[in-house]
Amino acid sequence: MGILIKNKEAQFLIRLTDTEIILGQRLAEMCSNGPFLEEDIAMSNLSLDLFGRGEELLKIISTIEGGEFSADDYAYRRNEREYYNIKLVEQPNEDFAWVMAKQYLHDVYMERIYTQLLESNNAEVSGLAEKVLKEIQYSLTHSKDWILRLGIGTNESNSRLQVAMNHLWKYVQELFLFDDLDNEFLVDTESITKDWNSEIESTFKEANLKVPENVHYDIRDYRKGFHSEHLGLILATMQFLPRAYPDAKW
Amino acid sequence: MIELLKYKNITMEKGDKVWEVFLQKKAGLSFKHVGSVHAYDKKMAIQNARDLYTRRSEGREIWVVETEHIVSVPLGQADAYFDPSDDKPYRHASFYEIPEGVENI
Amino acid sequence: MDKYEQAFNDIIERDSKIEPRDWMPEKYRANLKRQISQHAHSEIIGMQPEGNWLLRAPSLRSKQVLLAKIQDEAGHGLYLYSVAETLGVSRQEMNEQLHSGQAKYSSIFNYPTITWADMGAVGWLVDGAAIVNQVSLQRTSYGPYARGMVRICKEESFHQRQGFEIMVQMANGTPEQKEMAQDALNRFWEPSLMMFGPHDSDSAHTSQSMKWKIKRETNDNLRQKFIDKTIPQIEFLGLELPDSRIKWNEDTGHYDHPPYNWDEFWNVVNGNGPCNTERLDHHKKAHHDNAWVREAAYQYAQKTDISAVAQ
Repeated sequence: MGILIKNKEAQFLIRLTDTEIILGQRLAEMCSNGPFLEEDIAMSNLSLDLFGRGEELLKIISTIEGGEFSADDYAYRRNEREYYNIKLVEQPNEDFAWVMAKQYLHDVYMERIYTQLLESNNAEVSGLAEKVLKEIQYSLTHSKDWILRLGIGTNESNSRLQVAMNHLWKYVQELFLFDDLDNEFLVDTESITKDWNSEIESTFKEANLKVPENVHYDIRDYRKGFHSEHLGLILATMQFLPRAYPDAKW
Repeated sequence: MIELLKYKNITMEKGDKVWEVFLQKKAGLSFKHVGSVHAYDKKMAIQNARDLYTRRSEGREIWVVETEHIVSVPLGQADAYFDPSDDKPYRHASFYEIPEGVENI
Repeated sequence: MDKYEQAFNDIIERDSKIEPRDWMPEKYRANLKRQISQHAHSEIIGMQPEGNWLLRAPSLRSKQVLLAKIQDEAGHGLYLYSVAETLGVSRQEMNEQLHSGQAKYSSIFNYPTITWADMGAVGWLVDGAAIVNQVSLQRTSYGPYARGMVRICKEESFHQRQGFEIMVQMANGTPEQKEMAQDALNRFWEPSLMMFGPHDSDSAHTSQSMKWKIKRETNDNLRQKFIDKTIPQIEFLGLELPDSRIKWNEDTGHYDHPPYNWDEFWNVVNGNGPCNTERLDHHKKAHHDNAWVREAAYQYAQKTDISAVAQ
């Protein structure tokens, strides 16, 4: 099913949606796998917030696109090259350090993005941004606390976190290659880059982490639907039932 | 409430602590004890308490206290502390007779 | 008789509550510790068979609903561990008892969830059975346990509805969906009935538990309640009864059910069910693989003086 997204605003928003949904899916993998039960609950809370947000955005996108497709159609019937999430959130949960590293990097970035979406001309988007910011701020507090805990805690936790950051760093570059679409719907993308860099620098310092070198990577941009090898597997799992039983209503 | 003595004989994983959670549902209401959570530090304790006890909008304010810091009356002294003061009826308004016709008292 | 023992007996007699500070017979305390910690373990282990389908939930709504349900289950486990701790046992000790096999958990969770329809059957039947049991426990004699159960019951009602919603959708869907739903019902029916435990006559703990009002109704009574509630629901779904011998008895006003397979029940309880090893292995792995995280949390608390660490 070729689901095309025609409207520019929808094309911009789908990048956020897909990012939230894929991150939500990765977090859902942690169910019954956390370091202790309270953290299991915390992670499933985050996952629920992400799916809730993703679904709300898909409904807005569906409206903008004239209602041809439902939120579930977008989530379950687009293939790998039709997904526009950042590659960072596709990366696996190698261990708890990877989980919190991805979460923290995502939260810092999204906090700036949604703050700027408060200024959106679309009342539904700015309304959603207002609600979502509260969730993101809570998530950011939580993930930052873990970066500090793991960075400062023990040699082992520090080294696991450093390894995670080193691996994830090549997916940071594309976050800041803002294009015309980004600049049309975000107020000030330059400040997003600046704020992110300064937050990362200060947190990493506090957590005894080295900010990985900013090498130039030749990796195709997520904005054009390019992904790491992980997305295919994530979608194969997530979309299996509607694709296996296309005539069934779920 | 929990007797402190119990925890002295129990094996807890290193650094893991129990915290009692108190919730204030709405402004104007008292804080109520709702149970406990485990956490390694204060920040975690408050977040865990919020995640566990307020998923259904049950609170506007949370207090957490390490269980160790709760002071309670041991069983052996309960009588001395809590004997009903039935022999001190003058503490209750009903003890007093007010003549008919007097208002505002 | 010692005044504390007298006070304990009075409280039980009057249908009031025993609180953590009160004197209680050692056997009462031990009985409760066992029952409550096993109840808690059940909630936690139960996260696994449902977590198995979380990533494949076929709609955004069903995924969120299932995730919220599993999260609630973790929460219920936590409330119950918290209650058990008031009796003088730690989370770590309870974990060790679970890992060593000394502590049991509800045997229903030793069955695999092999199709999406199982999410319907589990929510509808397993949570349905749990609700029957839990409503009864709201009147248990130990205060913290009763309060915990009231809280749990309030949250539990959506769990059964979530499951039933899936069953309705599938029973009224494509032939393949209906077949999947029937199959799930067939597989989970008897294991759900086993959740109420052995026949009253074979239950070692029941009579003492009833005397102390820990348990308010017998296994067989609760099991019958569940059967009577559920058969009409199967008929509403338009599915076949899992056993054609189940019949309404006009005289007793209850459904008659053919004899249960108690051999299977005891065999699964004793560790030879389809997933016993897997459930425990999974739980142990998550715990041990993450030991470094807990160690880091401890060291961080020490180093940063966020709070003084207990001696």
